[in-house]
Amino acid sequence: MRGLVKEYKDGTRANRGIDLDVRSGEVVAVLGPNGAGKTTFLRQLTTELRPTGGTITVFGIDVIREPQRAKRLMGITPQEAGTFETLTVREHLQLFARLKGLSRRAADAATVEVIDTLGLTEHADRSVGSLSGGLRRRILIGLALLGRPPLLILDEPTTGLDPASRRVVWGVLRQIVQQGTTLVLSTHYMEEAERLSDRIAIIDSGRVIAFGTVRELLSRLRESYRLSYHDPATGNGDLRVQRYASFADVQAQIQELRLSEYSIARASLEDVYFEIAGQPFPDDEAVEVLQ
Amino acid sequence: MRRRASDIICVFRIHLARLRREAGPFLLASVVFPLVMYMFATAIGTTGAGAPQDAAQRVRFLAGSIVFSLSLTAVSWLGYLLLENRFTGRLKLFATLPLAPSSYVLGVLVFALAQATIGTTVLVMIARAFGVRTALSLPVGAMLLGAVLVLTVLCVCGIGVIIAARARSFSEGSLLTDALGAGLVFLAPIYCAPEALPRPLQILSRVMPTTYAARGVQTTLLGGNGVGADLLTLAVMATVTLAVGFRVMRWRED
Repeated sequence: MRGLVKEYKDGTRANRGIDLDVRSGEVVAVLGPNGAGKTTFLRQLTTELRPTGGTITVFGIDVIREPQRAKRLMGITPQEAGTFETLTVREHLQLFARLKGLSRRAADAATVEVIDTLGLTEHADRSVGSLSGGLRRRILIGLALLGRPPLLILDEPTTGLDPASRRVVWGVLRQIVQQGTTLVLSTHYMEEAERLSDRIAIIDSGRVIAFGTVRELLSRLRESYRLSYHDPATGNGDLRVQRYASFADVQAQIQELRLSEYSIARASLEDVYFEIAGQPFPDDEAVEVLQ
Repeated sequence: MRRRASDIICVFRIHLARLRREAGPFLLASVVFPLVMYMFATAIGTTGAGAPQDAAQRVRFLAGSIVFSLSLTAVSWLGYLLLENRFTGRLKLFATLPLAPSSYVLGVLVFALAQATIGTTVLVMIARAFGVRTALSLPVGAMLLGAVLVLTVLCVCGIGVIIAARARSFSEGSLLTDALGAGLVFLAPIYCAPEALPRPLQILSRVMPTTYAARGVQTTLLGGNGVGADLLTLAVMATVTLAVGFRVMRWRED
């Protein structure tokens, strides 16, 4: 992607010139808070939204000029897609495999493979409408996997899933990637980005503000240790989070403040975001555990 | 070409599954309500002395009920399904595929034609049981009746597709499809002679596809073959609504 810009009719600029190279077989997570422009970016990549400016090329195909041809190489899970509830899981997968251009025999084989891979065997002949939200999300991911497309684009694939289902999906994605599939996924879960991806692109206000491996991103931090404690100086024991360049500095601070309860952590992607964007990452699932 | 045919059949089958599951409401809209309208029209059409109506009038009521059935299923029900596809994110699933938007629309049209075939056949069979005697000529009359029905379905489906693609919200769209499903019937002379309508409605009915549909169905059921003008008008209307429908149905947003 080069110079990708999306400006809506009301003047809102959702993407302000995104440049991104994804290597074949690589997993790239697009990370950013809600409203950062992740979904707009992915919708342009999947041909759903026409960019105002810039170019997108997928395996040599101009996505903007030849969307149908480009989509033959993609498996896509949109963020807010719905399933057809009156179909059984098997019917849903078979019909969509056919719509992806697979022959009847190949569609049947792909359906069996996806049902097996996603652990849907016991639900295969049940109607989609009778399944839980987590299982339906798995079906949506399964639809993207049909026919083993060389590029998977998943927009927040595990949002709304319980931790167990999330881990199942992560396992499946790892397995798919080992077979050489390129994966681009958006997420606002730091853990998901860290666990799954080779490189992470952090998007904020429609721009890629950082792009690299977890190690590369962490190396950008001047202060790579984080100390969390309840401040004894305040009557309410307010939670304080401070960052330090070395472990020794953290220990010195603990001794100086005579802290008995605290937590020390290595810097995370959250800290990288804080450092670059100048504000905390709005992750509602973040939990501080104090020792 | 084979790929396109396969795509259209898949879209048709996806929607057919819905019909399978919701056969009850479908029969209510396509058969029961139109049948009730037939009985209602027969009742109020009876003269004060209770004299039996002539066969032509009964066929007019049957033709009206067939058009009513088409309007309810092809505009109200199908429009609702298309709106649901769009506003529940199902349309997004189609958009992720290398599927031409026109194949989606054609699949939906095939589905609408299947609905129309079921509804019309059941209505004609029940009407026979009610003693309505038609004089449909074979094979020409039957072919002309088929052509009238196909063009009517294509025309009203085009309207449904446009509403589903352009509505700003689900509620706005469903209100429009419901209003049109009924409006296309009551604003056209389908249960009465055109001259029986008030003057403003007579003028309005000239742009209603249901006017020509009802006249075409009635003429063929009475054994006549002179439906050329009605077919031509319906063909023009279907071309316009489908052309707009295909144009507004796009996967990619600007």
